[in-house]
Amino acid sequence: MEEIRSAYLDETLDTVRAADFLQYRSKDLPTWCPGCGYFGIVDALYRACRELDLKQENIVTVSGIGCSGRTPIFINTYGFHTLHGRSIPVATGLKLAREDLTVFAVAGDGDALGIGGGHLPHVARKNINITFLLFDNSIYGLTKGQSSSTTPHEMKTSSHPAGNPDTPLNPIRLALAYGASFVARGYAGDPQGLKDIIKNGILYQGFSFIQILTPCVTFDKENRTWKNLKENVVDLTPRMEEKNMETAMRLAQNEPHGVGIFFWDKKRPHYQEILRNLNKGN
Amino acid sequence: MMSFNDHYVIIGNGPAGNHAAKTLRKKDKGARITIISDEMIPYYYKPKLTGFIADEIAQKDLLVTSLESYKEKDIRVRLGQAVEQIDPDSKSLVLKHMETIKYSKLIIATGSRERLLPFMSGYADHLKFITSYTDVMDYKEKIQNAKEFFIFGGDLVGFKFLKMLNSMGKKVTILIYPNAFWPYNLTEDMLDQIFTSLSQFDVSIIIKDDISTIDKKDNGSYRIKTLKGVEKTVDMVFSFNGLVPDIDFVKGSGIDTDYGILVNEYLKTNIDGIYACGSCAQIYNPDMKSYSASIGWPNAVVQGEVAAYNLLGDHKVIESVGRKYFDLEGVKIKTTWWGDINDASQE
Amino acid sequence: MKDIDIVIEICGSAGEGTISAGEILSRFMSGQGFEIMSFDSYPAEIRGFGKCVAHTRISSNPIYSPGKLADVLISLNDNHAISQLPTLKESGILIYDSQPARPHEEDKSVAGRTKPGMISYGIPLNMLAHKAAGNARGMNMVALGALSALFHVDKDRFTDSIKARYGKKKQVVIDANVNSFLEGYDWAKENIKKSDPYSFEGVNLPEQKEKLIVNGNQLVAQAALDANLMFYAGYPITPATKIMEILSKELPKHGGTLLQTEDEIAAIGAVIGAGFGGKRAMTATSGPGFALMTEFTGLSVMAEVPAVIIDSQRAGPSTGMPTKTEQSDFNSAVMGGTGDCPRIVLAPADTKSCYEATVLALYFAEKYQTLVVVLLDFFLSNSIKNIDVPKKPAKKYRIANIAPKKEDLKDYKRYKITKSGISPRAVPGTPGGIFFSTGLEHNEYGRPDYSQAGHLKMTQKRYDKFNAVLVEAPAPEISAMGRGKVDIGVISWGSSAGAAREAVMAAQKEGIKAASFSSMMVSPFPEKALIKFADNCRKILIPELNFSGQFADFATCILKRPVEKLNFITGRPMASEDILQKMREM
Repeated sequence: MEEIRSAYLDETLDTVRAADFLQYRSKDLPTWCPGCGYFGIVDALYRACRELDLKQENIVTVSGIGCSGRTPIFINTYGFHTLHGRSIPVATGLKLAREDLTVFAVAGDGDALGIGGGHLPHVARKNINITFLLFDNSIYGLTKGQSSSTTPHEMKTSSHPAGNPDTPLNPIRLALAYGASFVARGYAGDPQGLKDIIKNGILYQGFSFIQILTPCVTFDKENRTWKNLKENVVDLTPRMEEKNMETAMRLAQNEPHGVGIFFWDKKRPHYQEILRNLNKGN
Repeated sequence: MMSFNDHYVIIGNGPAGNHAAKTLRKKDKGARITIISDEMIPYYYKPKLTGFIADEIAQKDLLVTSLESYKEKDIRVRLGQAVEQIDPDSKSLVLKHMETIKYSKLIIATGSRERLLPFMSGYADHLKFITSYTDVMDYKEKIQNAKEFFIFGGDLVGFKFLKMLNSMGKKVTILIYPNAFWPYNLTEDMLDQIFTSLSQFDVSIIIKDDISTIDKKDNGSYRIKTLKGVEKTVDMVFSFNGLVPDIDFVKGSGIDTDYGILVNEYLKTNIDGIYACGSCAQIYNPDMKSYSASIGWPNAVVQGEVAAYNLLGDHKVIESVGRKYFDLEGVKIKTTWWGDINDASQE
Repeated sequence: MKDIDIVIEICGSAGEGTISAGEILSRFMSGQGFEIMSFDSYPAEIRGFGKCVAHTRISSNPIYSPGKLADVLISLNDNHAISQLPTLKESGILIYDSQPARPHEEDKSVAGRTKPGMISYGIPLNMLAHKAAGNARGMNMVALGALSALFHVDKDRFTDSIKARYGKKKQVVIDANVNSFLEGYDWAKENIKKSDPYSFEGVNLPEQKEKLIVNGNQLVAQAALDANLMFYAGYPITPATKIMEILSKELPKHGGTLLQTEDEIAAIGAVIGAGFGGKRAMTATSGPGFALMTEFTGLSVMAEVPAVIIDSQRAGPSTGMPTKTEQSDFNSAVMGGTGDCPRIVLAPADTKSCYEATVLALYFAEKYQTLVVVLLDFFLSNSIKNIDVPKKPAKKYRIANIAPKKEDLKDYKRYKITKSGISPRAVPGTPGGIFFSTGLEHNEYGRPDYSQAGHLKMTQKRYDKFNAVLVEAPAPEISAMGRGKVDIGVISWGSSAGAAREAVMAAQKEGIKAASFSSMMVSPFPEKALIKFADNCRKILIPELNFSGQFADFATCILKRPVEKLNFITGRPMASEDILQKMREM
């Protein structure tokens, strides 16, 4: 038995080392549940940083409150675990003061679309140059299973045992409506595909909105499960257009499990560029 | 009883105006009552002014009533505000600072001011008078610092002033005019009596003479020459030649005037709702078929009360005999007199 | 040689040049060497003909409060001036238009409402304005001309000042103003008999120095720029908006960035983000905004991230009265929020101190890695004072982060326990300096740690850090009468301190043994100095602009003895006359 185990470990270690992104992985043990989709997200994040050859000390990961709030602990970059709903304003101030840094803002669906919902329109319409990852598991996990802003109608949760009376928000449509110029959806179960989306998001000079479909294995055993996701997630890339709002909106509305980049305005200047142009004029 | 909307306005803050106001308020609790005075001081004892100049009394001792007592009686006092004109048709008056006030009924009690002798009008700038607190405040300091004075005329205030200056150690020359008490004339006998009585004071007295010129010198002093050749150089020149009713603002309003405001025996003017009392008024006596003028505090008090009663609907008649006599250096001077101004020999 | 100390109010309707007349007057007087303090009031409506009052105090001696009552009231609009009469002294002077277009209705004339003892000077303002420039717009300058004649102000110097003020405008505008002024001056000289004692002639003035004429908001903005501010995030709110507007123009020129946010929570969030990034950042707000920022104040203190909040207090609670001054955010600033959350609070006592307070705030925030709140109020934000040009801060105050040494970076502990409580702080971008900050209780590495010992250790660290600031705090302002005990000690804070100081000076002249104490550093409070001061006072009086006596309660806890409270919530600044009256009664 011992031999088999150590061989497995050695093999895994070799694979991981070969991928060469260990430096982004912190020493701390994760507190996420085994099987949590967040592991997949973080994996994609490490790979994206590695492939772009970003130095850890030049990256800051800013999180809100929730299971996703623990993200900065497990990633070996400067990290700031802030307040519920507020990773976006903090990340904004940080990026505007330190243009030289790569800034990630991460938040759960409850955090970003509930309490933090008022910040999204503005970071999008100002086109602040940060990459935003929405860990969408459609539930409040850390507080043990209450409905969130993306919980489906009539799903039974710990705050609505008779069924959720509310209609969920559509994060992609919101981001599009708020004028975000890089709007994408990814899937935690596809680290390679997600890695590519995240890479493009980082490279995009402006606000990148990336919704990531991920299960909560502990508190959602019927709706957003690994099984359901695997069956329903579909790559929409062939049907997507780079900069067509109608197409984007339509796909966002009709394909809640479609992944890809819905909207990508490569020419739009980011906030600091806009400011520089305006101030030059004076 | 009068309604709350009535507004009784009294122009003048002396004894006549104040007693009128007091009477009105006693009889009519609801009406608005306003006293308008062009002086900045509340109701004060004019006779005490000379003492005030000599600093024998303080300003608070000059006052008859305090501002609080007006508030208690709910009488509005407008101090330092002068009436520019009266418009009986619209029952309103305009104040000098361009404010219009509407009245239901009006009492004019503006009293009298100094008479400037007609032939002295050219020297008006050189002359000083003492008929009000405002005058006194203007020259009080100057009087205290000046050394030599020239007084001409000789009315009640004049003699009081002379005696006060004397007590202050000032050098005074007085030129006594017979008609200083205009329209009341002093007879030869009266003049002699006055002269004798005055001689006990350290003053220069000139009688049976007249002023020829007054020149103001560069250093601010005045040089006076009389017809008979007397020359004096003094610091200040005062004129005390009687009083005339202070009613310029009434001219042109339609209210009948002579040199004062003409009123009937009920103190009512020719216009309904407008009354006059005190030394600004000439009162008709139906028996004598002529108008009387009056001076002095006691007359003003009783006339103010009567005007108030009559304004409220009563029909009191003012007494035909004056209140009192004044003692002027031993000579009895009446406070009320009748008749035509030109008939100067009346007693 | 004599002194003069006079309060002049100009009252008119919006659009009549009331405020600009006040500004011209105070600018001129400052240039002549007088101390000036202006506190104007504007109508609540954006448009229309609401009441404006330009209130200016001019003195040949230092001024510490704006003056409760006016010595002179100039009425450019009788309707409004009537409501301003109650603040004219009983022996005050009224200047009014003696020839309005038509007579006023009964009681609609300000001259008709004067009390006995007041001196009224009627000047045909309207007529003279038309004579000078063909319209009524110059009435304000006519009035200033008359005022100058009455108070023996040099005519030529004043017209030079007018020309300088309007220098950039068209000649026709300059001429209209100068001619209106001269018409008023000449008319008054010819026609008015002066019966008041005021005169600017022959006044003993201190040596002339170059002065800056500014309000608190302008000084806060200037200080921030001089002290290396790199980031400002803010949300418009009365009375702090001007700070943002000035910085939006100037900060980019200094290489910084300004962000107007969607709300105050985003503003403080961004400030903290920038602070985390190692750049000096600040936001300015008032009560309602400050309330929204409460949660983030906890994060700043717990995660030890520098942040500066300027709170310009208005009357509260809630939306309160946005254009009225009050000192009722004390409790909220010093003790608000949840948990054991010590934060530095500075409360400048006068206009010029707003500069120093802002410099110190940015310095303390960066060095002590925490939240600093600077409490201004509507009065300090908006009242104008002529002050000496402030000295720019030394390098020590502009760059204050304690960076980790090379050895520290080997196994970097962001929240290392040290004697002072300050842990060397790596700034993002520093290799080897990677750390994690959180609002959760944490260990020295910043990792979440809920242990009993850990929480106690970290809380103690945060308090040690907080108390360490006292060493660098500016000394309290004490005015005492030599040595020995005094009968009444007046302890105050913020803008009330000026009035308290004046009241104490006046009381001393009346033979009352008194002294005053105020401290710009309000949290942590210099308790030892306060106790030492109070020990010398038989009685203690604490005047402040709030209802319950927030600071008085705070001081009572320190002093452990009863104090006399004096509370006003009139919306107007503290008046030295009111404090003096209370002192007489005590």
